[in-house]
Amino acid sequence: MKPESPLLASLALVAGIVFLSPVLYSIWISFQTANAYYAGEVGFTLDNYGRAVGQYNFARYLVNSLIVSGLVTLLGITFATMAAYAFARYSFRGSNFLFGATVATLMIPSHISLIPNYLSLAKVGLLDTYAGLILPAISNGFAAFFLRQYIRGIPRSLDEAAYMDGATPLRVLWRIIVPLSRPAIASMALYIFMTEWNSYIWPLVAVGDQDLYTLQIGLARLYRINPGEGLVDWPLVMAASTITILPVLLGFLLVERHLVRGITMGAVK
Amino acid sequence: MSRKLHSTIAVSIVALFASVGVAEAATTVKFWHSFNKSSGQALDKIVQNFEAANPDIDVEAEFIGNYNDIIAKLQAAIPARRAPDAVILEVTRYGLFANNNILTDLTPYFDADPLKADLYEYAQEVGVISGKNYIVPFNSSTPVLYFNKDIFERAGLSADTPLKTFDEILTATKTISEKLGSEGISGIAAPGQFARWGLVMANDSELVDPKSGEIMLDKPNTIEAYQWMASLVHDNKVASPDGVTDEDNGRDAFLARKVGIMFNSTGNYGEAKKAIGDNLVVRAMPCNKACSVPIGGAGIGIMATSSKEVQDAAYKFVSYAASPEANAIWFAATGYLPINKKSGGLPVAKEALATQPGIDVAIDSLPNAHGRARTTVVTWMRTTEYKMWQAMALGQQKVDETMKDFAEQTRAEEKRVSN
Amino acid sequence: MAMLRKLTPYLFVAPLMIFITVFTYIPILASLNLSFREWNFLSPDMPFVGLRNYEQLLSSRELWNSLWVTTLFAILSVPLRLGLALVIANYLIRESVHSRLLRGALFLPSVTSTVSIAVVFSWVFSTDYGMVNAILGMLGLGKVQWLQDPHLALWVLIFVNTWKQLGYDIVIYIAGLQAIPQELYDAASIDGCRRLHVFRRVTLPLVMPATYFLLVISVIEAFQVFTIVNVMTRGGPAGATDMLVNLLYEIGFVLFDIGRGSALAVMLFVLLVALAILKSRIIGRKVHYEA
Repeated sequence: MKPESPLLASLALVAGIVFLSPVLYSIWISFQTANAYYAGEVGFTLDNYGRAVGQYNFARYLVNSLIVSGLVTLLGITFATMAAYAFARYSFRGSNFLFGATVATLMIPSHISLIPNYLSLAKVGLLDTYAGLILPAISNGFAAFFLRQYIRGIPRSLDEAAYMDGATPLRVLWRIIVPLSRPAIASMALYIFMTEWNSYIWPLVAVGDQDLYTLQIGLARLYRINPGEGLVDWPLVMAASTITILPVLLGFLLVERHLVRGITMGAVK
Repeated sequence: MSRKLHSTIAVSIVALFASVGVAEAATTVKFWHSFNKSSGQALDKIVQNFEAANPDIDVEAEFIGNYNDIIAKLQAAIPARRAPDAVILEVTRYGLFANNNILTDLTPYFDADPLKADLYEYAQEVGVISGKNYIVPFNSSTPVLYFNKDIFERAGLSADTPLKTFDEILTATKTISEKLGSEGISGIAAPGQFARWGLVMANDSELVDPKSGEIMLDKPNTIEAYQWMASLVHDNKVASPDGVTDEDNGRDAFLARKVGIMFNSTGNYGEAKKAIGDNLVVRAMPCNKACSVPIGGAGIGIMATSSKEVQDAAYKFVSYAASPEANAIWFAATGYLPINKKSGGLPVAKEALATQPGIDVAIDSLPNAHGRARTTVVTWMRTTEYKMWQAMALGQQKVDETMKDFAEQTRAEEKRVSN
Repeated sequence: MAMLRKLTPYLFVAPLMIFITVFTYIPILASLNLSFREWNFLSPDMPFVGLRNYEQLLSSRELWNSLWVTTLFAILSVPLRLGLALVIANYLIRESVHSRLLRGALFLPSVTSTVSIAVVFSWVFSTDYGMVNAILGMLGLGKVQWLQDPHLALWVLIFVNTWKQLGYDIVIYIAGLQAIPQELYDAASIDGCRRLHVFRRVTLPLVMPATYFLLVISVIEAFQVFTIVNVMTRGGPAGATDMLVNLLYEIGFVLFDIGRGSALAVMLFVLLVALAILKSRIIGRKVHYEA
C-alpha cells in the first residue's frame, strides 16, 4: 500500500458517509424521542429500543431470525458439501443428470414454488413452525455447484493416500476435503446465511403466528401498521430497523474479506 | 423392580391426565380482530370483563391488522387449517366466507338469545345473508364528516360553514388550501374506501344494489361521485395524494392537524378527540343528491371447523360483546354506534354523550343509514377498488372509462365466483 | 461391500436431491397443474378450466402494465448500475486506505436487510419529514411527492435498488479489472493514449466477462424484485410500480385467485428461463470469442 495524502483519505471518508447517510441518519433518529423528532429538536432516549424489544417483540424476532438462518446455513452447507464432494470425486450413473438438475435450479425463479410449497406445507401442518420456514430454503444449488468446482481443484492424491490407510469416504470428506475447502465453505456459508437472513416473500406467506416472525417480517409489519398516534412513529420504526440491520452489519465488519472473496470467486470463474 | 417401575409409570400417567384435565377445563377461543391503539385497549377491557364473568373460557384475542388484512389472513389460513375460532369480519365482506361454508350459521344461537331483541333493527340485519345469520355485530358505524375548528378559523371560515353539498365542501377546502397551504395544511383528506362508498350514496347511487345485487359501478351518479372525489386530489389539489396511496395516511394527517376536513367512520371519533380535543367538530355526511349513509363496521363470525364446545364458548363471548355493558364501554371509548338499545341508558354511555360533543352525530344519522350488499363478489370488488381509485385520483385514467371497465370486470368476476 | 461402494455417491447427493425435488421441481409441476384450475383456497374442489386463466391474464390490463413496468425497471436500472459501478471500480481499483474505506461503505448496503433499506428509504422519500424534501427545502425548493406521484415512484425504486446493489457490482468489476495484466496498460501508455482512450480500448473490452455476468444477474434480479415494492409502494401509486412478482403476490395471496396466480408464476418462470438460456448462449459465445 502506497502512502497517500490525508486530504484524499478524508475526501473518501466524506463520500462514504454521504453515501451511507440515509442509514446513519436513521440510526440517529432511533435515539430520538418522537416529540423531539417531530419538533425538529434533539432529545436523546433509549426508549425506542426498549419498546421495540419489549412491547413489539423484536427480541423474539431476532432469536427467530438467528434460529432460522442458523439452521438453514448449517443444513444447507452440509448437504451442499456432501453433494459437491460426490459430484467432484465420483463418476456414477446419472451423475451428469443430477448435477445438471442441481445447476439448473440457479435459473429457476423461486416464486414458481410459492403457492405449491405453501399448500404442501399446509397439508403436513408445518406452516407456522420453524421447520416450515427452514425446509424450503435448505437446498442451495449455487453452493453445491461452487463447492464442486473448488473441490475439483484439490489434488486427488490426498484422498487416495487416505483410502490406502483404510479411511471411509465419509472420513475422507471430513478429514481431508472439508479442511482444505474451508475458505470456500466459509464464504458459501456466509452467503447462505445472508440470503436467508434477508429472505422476505416466503416468511411473509408462510408465517401467520406473530411469535414466529423473523426480523424482516416484524419490521415490515411494524412499519405498515404504524403504531404512532397519527404520524408514523419514525424513531420507533428506526430502532426496529437498526436492530434488523445490526447483526449483519457486525458480521460484515468481521468477515468482509471472506465475503468479498467468496463473491468474486463465484463471478470471475 | 419392574413392578415398581410399572407403578411409577401408572402414577405419572394418571398425573398427566389429571393435569390435561385441568388444562381442558378452560375452553380457549382464538379470536382475531382489527383493533389496536385506543380501540384495542377498549376491546381488551371487554375481553377481561368477559373472562372474569366466565372463568372457564379463555379468549385469546389477537390484533391482525385492518379489515383487508384479516380477510387475507383468514383466506390463507383455510387450507392450512390455522384459522381462529372467532373473527371480526367487515359487514360487506363476510359473504365470501359464509357462502363457502367457512362460517358457521349462527341463526340457532342468535334466535335463542334474548340479546337479539335488544339490538337495533339495523344491527339485527347486518349479519344476515339469505335468511341465515353469519355474524353478530360488534362495532357498527356510519361515516361522518370531521373538521378541525382551529384550521377553519385560521382560514377565515366560521364553524357553521355550510357543508351539505359537494360544492359547499369543495369551496371550504379550497379556502383552507389557499390560505394555509403554505403551512403544509391541506383542505381535506382523500376519502378512504368507506367514505367513498358513503359519498356515492350521498349522490343517490350505490356500488352494488343491496337488494338485487346489481352492480352499479357504472351508473351516472356513481361516476359523478367518483369524479368529484378524484377532483379533490387531482384537479383541485385540495387533498394530498398521500391519502390516496394509503388511506390511513389521510386519517393520520388529520389527527396530526395537517388537514381541515375528513370523511371517516364514526369509529374514529375516540382517536380524533384524543388528538384534536376541543377543536374537533363532527357533522353528518353531505346530502348532495340524497341523504343516505352506509352502515359499516364489523361483526364476529365463528368458524364452522371449531368444535361444538368451542363454538358455544365463542358464541357466549360474541353475545357478551354485544351486550349493553360491553357495548356502552365500546361506544364511549371509540365512538362506534351503540348497537344495543339498552347501552345508551348506562352511565358510561350517558357520560360520553354529555361530555363528548359530536359523538352522537352518527346516531342521529341512523334514520338515513342503510345496509349494503354482501354478495360474494363484494370482497373482490373492494380489494380491486383501491387500484381503480388510485388510477383515477392520481389522474392516470379517466374516471368514466375506469368505472365502466371496473363494472365490466366486477360482472365477469361475479359470473366466475357464482359458477 | 461393493454394493455399498456403488451406493456411496448416491447417499452423498441424496439429501440435496431430495430437497431440490420436493421444494423446487415438484412445485413447478404443481404450479402447472394449478394454473389450469379454478380455486380460491375456500371451495372444497378445484375444477379444471383449461387455458382460461392464461386467457384472462393475457387480456388483462394489469399483466401488460406489470410487464411494461418490470421491463422499464430493468432497462433503466441495469445500465445505470453497471455504468456507475464500472466507473467507480476503475477509480477504486488502486489499493489504498481510502479506496478500501470507500469500497467497504459502498459494499455495505448489498449485505444489509432489504426490508430495513426499504423502510429507511420510505422515510428518506416521505413527503413531510423525509430527508430528500428537507434538503430540497434548504435549497429553497418545494416538497415533492416522491412515492405518491406515478411518474416518480418507479424512479425512486430504481434509485433504492441501485443504491443497494451498486457495491456488489463494484466488487465484481474490481475483481475483473484486477485480472487485466498491467503490461497492457503500460503498452497503452507508451503509445501515448489518453486516459479515456485507454478506458475504451483496453479496460472496456477486457472486463466484458464481468459485464456479462453482471448483466445476467441484474436482469434476472430486476424481474424478481419484490421486497422494496411490497414495503415501499405495494405496486402503487396507480400500478406505477406493480412489478411482476408483486402482481403474482397480489393475485395469489391477496385476491387468492390461485389458478390465475399459478398461471402467472408459470409464465414468469418460462420468461426467466428463456432469458437465462438466451443470456448463457450469448455469454458462452462472447467468452469464447474473447479467449
